[in-house]
Amino acid sequence: MQRAVTTRKRTSLAGWLTEPTLAGMRRRKALLGYLFVLPTILGILVFTAGPVLVSFGLSLYKWNVFRPPTFVGLENYTRLVSDTRVLVSFANSARFVILAIGLQIVFSLLLALALRQRMATWMRYYFRTTFLLPFLLSGAATGVVLSYLLHQEFGVVNYYLGLLGIPRIPWLTSSDVVLYTVVLAYLWQFVGFSLITMLGGLSNISSEVLDAAEVDGASGWNWLWQIVLPMLSPTLLFSAVIGVIGGLQIFDQPYVMTRGGPGDASRTAVMTLYEAAFKNQEIGYASSIAVILFVVILAITAFQFAMSKRWVFYQ
Amino acid sequence: MQNQGLNRRQFLQMAGVGSAAVMLAACVPAQPAAAPAADGEGAAPAKETVVLRVQGDPANETPLLEPFRQVHPDIDLEFIAVTGIDHEEIASKILSMIAAGEQIDFGYSATEALQLYAGQGLAYALDEFIQRDEAEVAEYFADVHPSLIEAMMYEGSVYELPFDFNAANMYYNTQLFAEAGVDHPADNWSKDDFLEVARKIAKKDDSGQTTVFGYAWTNRLWGSWMPWIFVNGGNLFTEEKAPGGEWLWSTFYADDAAAAGRGGGYRWVTPTANSPAVVEALDLVVTLTSEGTAPAIEMGGGQTLQGFFADNKLAMTPAGGFWAGGLANAGFANGSFDVQLFPSWKSQRHQFGTGGQWISAQGQHKEEAWTYSKFRISQEGMKLWYGANGIITTPSRRSMLVAEAFAETGPAHWQVFYDTLDKHPDTAPIPAPPISNPMTTLFTSYTGRAMTGELSPQQAMDELQKELEDLVARSQDIMYPQG
Repeated sequence: MQRAVTTRKRTSLAGWLTEPTLAGMRRRKALLGYLFVLPTILGILVFTAGPVLVSFGLSLYKWNVFRPPTFVGLENYTRLVSDTRVLVSFANSARFVILAIGLQIVFSLLLALALRQRMATWMRYYFRTTFLLPFLLSGAATGVVLSYLLHQEFGVVNYYLGLLGIPRIPWLTSSDVVLYTVVLAYLWQFVGFSLITMLGGLSNISSEVLDAAEVDGASGWNWLWQIVLPMLSPTLLFSAVIGVIGGLQIFDQPYVMTRGGPGDASRTAVMTLYEAAFKNQEIGYASSIAVILFVVILAITAFQFAMSKRWVFYQ
Repeated sequence: MQNQGLNRRQFLQMAGVGSAAVMLAACVPAQPAAAPAADGEGAAPAKETVVLRVQGDPANETPLLEPFRQVHPDIDLEFIAVTGIDHEEIASKILSMIAAGEQIDFGYSATEALQLYAGQGLAYALDEFIQRDEAEVAEYFADVHPSLIEAMMYEGSVYELPFDFNAANMYYNTQLFAEAGVDHPADNWSKDDFLEVARKIAKKDDSGQTTVFGYAWTNRLWGSWMPWIFVNGGNLFTEEKAPGGEWLWSTFYADDAAAAGRGGGYRWVTPTANSPAVVEALDLVVTLTSEGTAPAIEMGGGQTLQGFFADNKLAMTPAGGFWAGGLANAGFANGSFDVQLFPSWKSQRHQFGTGGQWISAQGQHKEEAWTYSKFRISQEGMKLWYGANGIITTPSRRSMLVAEAFAETGPAHWQVFYDTLDKHPDTAPIPAPPISNPMTTLFTSYTGRAMTGELSPQQAMDELQKELEDLVARSQDIMYPQG
């Protein structure tokens, strides 16, 4: 009898939803909520979770797209851990992130504090726009221009350095220098984005707190270290998380500027992934690199959030 | 009372199924609109126009289109421009496009990609077309050196008919040569002659920085330091000939001595990157850079070097006929540059690359694609193309390399281009096996590591050798047939 009742109720969806009871109202409310989040859930499933799962599946195969895939188990992963080019590219990405994101946060914070000083409104807008403009440009386009500007022999940068008596710097042709060049190029382009974030964060700090600190005599380093940075910590966390995720995925600008060279000195993890997938048609191997990169990014992001409990303060 | 209604999990399941059904429904193609009624029931159907999707530069091909359409009004061409810093990058993009399901009926590829496409089964062998239209294409073969044809063969079959080629000859800046009191080098000038000239012209300022370079090259497969490997008697791989192709040589080159011993295309089988000849060649170019005679190398197709050359900051560089057109387009005056054969070392065997149109094996319009390709390599087609575009690359036809073709642009010794093939018939294509893309990445990477001093030439080539051996071992499925 109980089974018959259940079947009858389940087949009457309209009745279940329109039931004029408190439970029915809750159901209708819940339905509305689900309908609103449905596009997002579908988007995540189709465009994020799906590709991640497919990548993991593909990483267990040898496949060049034009021939049927062959199951190879964990062979791609065992090859990956002994592939010095891939290991070097991950190390390059890590060095890049530490340098670029660290400097990006420091510079953008300093610039934001500088822009917070009293100045004419038009100057404030001018500086904000000037710093943000490079962020609006394409990484590939800036890469082309920068590679000309930074040419060792006839680049404009070395020309002016030469006028100051500074020898030509092998910006793009020395293994020891090239990664720093890539970091500089990244900073030039992306510091404006962090600057806007920092300005937003600073403007969110309660004026009562800042006034109270001033009354209590906080100034200079104490004011920055004891008041501003703790209050700005959510913004710093955001910048660090977004910066690390983006930094580990850096591709277009260094690829256009150096093609990973000289040697492998500026080859990043995504560059090896791209080369494996699109130059070498090793889709399975490229997928294994993608999976490892995904795991690395996930682990670092999780670590950042876990550590944030110790230093991030929400007002 | 127990709630027997739908719980949230069940509802989500239903919602998921419902959404999937909606999406599937949306994916069903709409019914085609009804065709408009014919003017009359007895009207004969007009011949359908075939639209070929072509990978190529529409600007360059435009001069051929109208004359072609006049003869073949039922064939139209839709161009897909694919750009890249070098041939292997273009090939990567094309492979990605094909993998993504984009239809390409035919396209252009250079030596770098021929075996890559053919080895993957993407390119269609032209043998049946050539044999069928023997009378029509015989004149073409009579005009083209057999080494170019052989370079476009793979495992006994022809996959492309060469439209252009570029051997790495030595371009030089006549003003810098004159200032240094150096004459046009002899045909058989040696590596030592070259070094003497390069070092004589190179100039440094008081701080020891080079202001004028004697020699420069870019890091890539063709050109690069590959010409030094070839003249030193080396190669990155052992060179073998695939069986087959006898029908072609006996049909079109029966009386040509340069065709003797040719086979069914090249096979680059075993890596020889750390052979003494290759290491010695690398050592030579490393020395030139470390002493300041040559600049630090960079990746790319050589456009930067054209700027160097135009500013009289560079005396010599390896390049093919394409450089003459490039320099002329850049405003370099006729007479301000010239060209000579590459210097001899243990031999004077040059390296070249050639290019032509390949037809997609998956394409639905192979016959029409062949019709256009045939027109493009005809005398009329090539004259139209080169007449409108200039000599921006070296025509594969000997008959097109004549004085008037270079009268406006130079170089004065334009004969060098075809002499490379005629006087040195052992001249051969750059090594470009079906694994040429990853091979090129490895080659340029280790070249870079040697040129920056990160590794010695011997260390760099030992490591390259090991990586090439690994690459060959794991790519047996796309390498040459065994046995």
